[in-house]
Amino acid sequence: MVVFPIMVMVFFTSLMDDGLPTEMPVGVVDLDNTSTSRSLVQKLDAFQMSHVVAHYPSVTEARKAIQQNDIYAFLYIPKGTTDELLASRQPKVSFYYSYTTLAAGALLMRDLKTISTLGSAGVGQATMRAKGFTDGQIQAFLQPIRIDLHQIANPWTNYNAYLSTMMVPGMIMLFIFLISAYSLGTELKFSSSKEWMDMADNRILVAIVGKFLPQTIIWLALVYCYEFYVFYVLQFPHVGNTWMLVLLGLIQVLSAQGFGIFAFGLTPSLRMSMSICSLWAVLSFSMVGSAFPVMGMDGALQSLSWLFPLRHYFMIYQITVFNGFPLLEAWFHFAALAAFMLLPWLVIGKIKNAMLNYVYIP
Amino acid sequence: MSTYRNYRNSFRRRIDDTFFIWREEMKQLFKDEGVIIFFIVVPLLYPLLYSWIYNNETIHEVPVAVVDDSHTALSRQFLRMCDASPDVRIAYYAQDLDEAKSLVSRQLTRGIYLIPSDFETKVNRMEQSTISVYCDMSLMLTYKAIYQTAMLVSMQMGQEIQTKLGQHYTKREEVIAAKPLDYTEVPIFNPSGGYGSFVLPGVLILILQQTLVLGIGMSAGTARERNRYRQLIPISRPYQNVFRIIFGKALCYFMIYALMGAWLVVVVPRLFHFPQLATWQPLLLMMLPYTLACIFFGMVMSCLVKYRENVMLIMVFVSVPLLFLTGVSWPQNNIPGFWQGASWVFPSTFGVRAYVRLNSMGASLSDVSTEITILWLHTFLYFWLACVVYGYQIYLTRHDAFWRYREMMERKKAKEKEKTVQS
Repeated sequence: MVVFPIMVMVFFTSLMDDGLPTEMPVGVVDLDNTSTSRSLVQKLDAFQMSHVVAHYPSVTEARKAIQQNDIYAFLYIPKGTTDELLASRQPKVSFYYSYTTLAAGALLMRDLKTISTLGSAGVGQATMRAKGFTDGQIQAFLQPIRIDLHQIANPWTNYNAYLSTMMVPGMIMLFIFLISAYSLGTELKFSSSKEWMDMADNRILVAIVGKFLPQTIIWLALVYCYEFYVFYVLQFPHVGNTWMLVLLGLIQVLSAQGFGIFAFGLTPSLRMSMSICSLWAVLSFSMVGSAFPVMGMDGALQSLSWLFPLRHYFMIYQITVFNGFPLLEAWFHFAALAAFMLLPWLVIGKIKNAMLNYVYIP
Repeated sequence: MSTYRNYRNSFRRRIDDTFFIWREEMKQLFKDEGVIIFFIVVPLLYPLLYSWIYNNETIHEVPVAVVDDSHTALSRQFLRMCDASPDVRIAYYAQDLDEAKSLVSRQLTRGIYLIPSDFETKVNRMEQSTISVYCDMSLMLTYKAIYQTAMLVSMQMGQEIQTKLGQHYTKREEVIAAKPLDYTEVPIFNPSGGYGSFVLPGVLILILQQTLVLGIGMSAGTARERNRYRQLIPISRPYQNVFRIIFGKALCYFMIYALMGAWLVVVVPRLFHFPQLATWQPLLLMMLPYTLACIFFGMVMSCLVKYRENVMLIMVFVSVPLLFLTGVSWPQNNIPGFWQGASWVFPSTFGVRAYVRLNSMGASLSDVSTEITILWLHTFLYFWLACVVYGYQIYLTRHDAFWRYREMMERKKAKEKEKTVQS
């Protein structure tokens, strides 16, 4: 029960330990082969994310290398580039990158684009220096408008901080869903449900609270352990204060348990309720809208995303913890999670009936 | 007697037994609602659902707040050009940064463009002037849209300013001075950079493995629970040979998943217009070992796990990490060696890689020969492993049956003894 969530926690945080993918394999098709073109390639290799692994004799060969998974992108410098550059005939280099792996493609595109712009700027700089301009003048001429980028709360574009903080809580919630339905279902399966109800004098509320309170404590310990590890040991960025984290953990556990019990109440059978929980939980990784934003989905899906507890968790997290805005801005999502917490209320009678009267059919 | 002995191990008998087991398994599958969900409903509906979610592929018109302290023709030009770009929409004009920040906190905008009051003055003085961009980093795609649009627009405006200052004689000279080295960027395979075209092929192939393993695990669990003695293998005659059981059951799963596989890799991508470069022959050659490997993998899993609910716990739990391990979301060369090793256990790792490259990147069969070889290796390994674990199950069944028989006989004897003593 505790092993799996911890494994997932270690998995995601160690998988993306570097924060950004580094040293991704890149190829070069250098038909020009002059000192200028070689210096471009060397500059590309010096970038943190790109690692020039091979030179190819033609574009076709390089494309084949991408298809064989050897490289993610390549730079093509046609023959005569340096000659034309010196003769001011505006030669053209090209870079090709594969978007079938979106993160790798986007990051390499940035490197390759920078290299190509640098190649251009290098020539301009040399010309202007020869004409006797100062460095400040040259910079102002080459880039009259500069973009001053502020990446709030995640200045390193750290993918670990961006993905793990959604994936791991999502997995923990998935597990809470399943275990909540499982622990109710096994009462029926091993026909210990009447015993359980007897212990609570047939008061279903007492029975359920008694059953789930110990679990809640274990889950809370787990969630807080995750939060401590991620935000204090690994130092993930969080602008919001500690109490926000405590509150978020509490509402996360309770709403997930509420959903699990509700799913069991809907179809008081072990495997049906577990199927519902797992299908719902797996879908929520898409509906959470952290990788592909909800605002980009169809209108109907935008409304449907309200039905997924993970979505509300993510919104509260990013508003109050990640960006550190007041809880008031996330009141709707907080209320929604509270509603998930109270969902079992609707089916409590049905659960009681099931526990007292149903016989387990395999 | 001799004819019976001939029949017992004859070819005919083997085929008969295999088909008997196949028929029983089929019957059982369609009686079990849990299995139907995972074998039929999920593979049919989930791809549609996922395709629907990701069908818009890219995001456009990300709302941005603007703080324009400059109020000049140049700053307005910048904002106009940003607003006209496909990715960004200027939603609000804020008085100051605090107001803009409160717009971000209310989720009304995802970023801020701040143009300082000396923006145009600096440009006119031939100094470098700055525009500040503040991005909410909780969503990578919106950050990319906001930042890249600002970059593009600033570069374009910069070029215009350069050409005005350059004192060139001809238009051509202006162009060359602004950009001595031209470049083109070519995103190949998935040229629009669509999110769906990127993630969906992997998800489709993963769905096949997960539902197959879940379904097999469920049906094995049901078989155990329906059995009088809580055993996987019934004691009746056709169930005496490992190979007949495994072939019979695998045939049943394969028949269902031949259809589901075709639906997943041929129909769904076509319905939603995802890139599809592979023809049916290489796809068939790749899906055949993949489906078989998944079937035998599922059979091994179903024997290792006692309660069917536990199969569900494990498989649902690993599904998201498995997607990461395929190297689709996170570059393969950046996955730590330990996890790479762990990913080798699952057929999906190689299935997804082979399918993505065949289907989205138009690779030929020889380009993915490593993956296909490993898939056949998986098939082979998991087949024998399935034989071993099923063999053990048969042993358990017989062992228990033998002891039950002994007990029964002893009880009978004891009863008879009692009778003789009484009489």
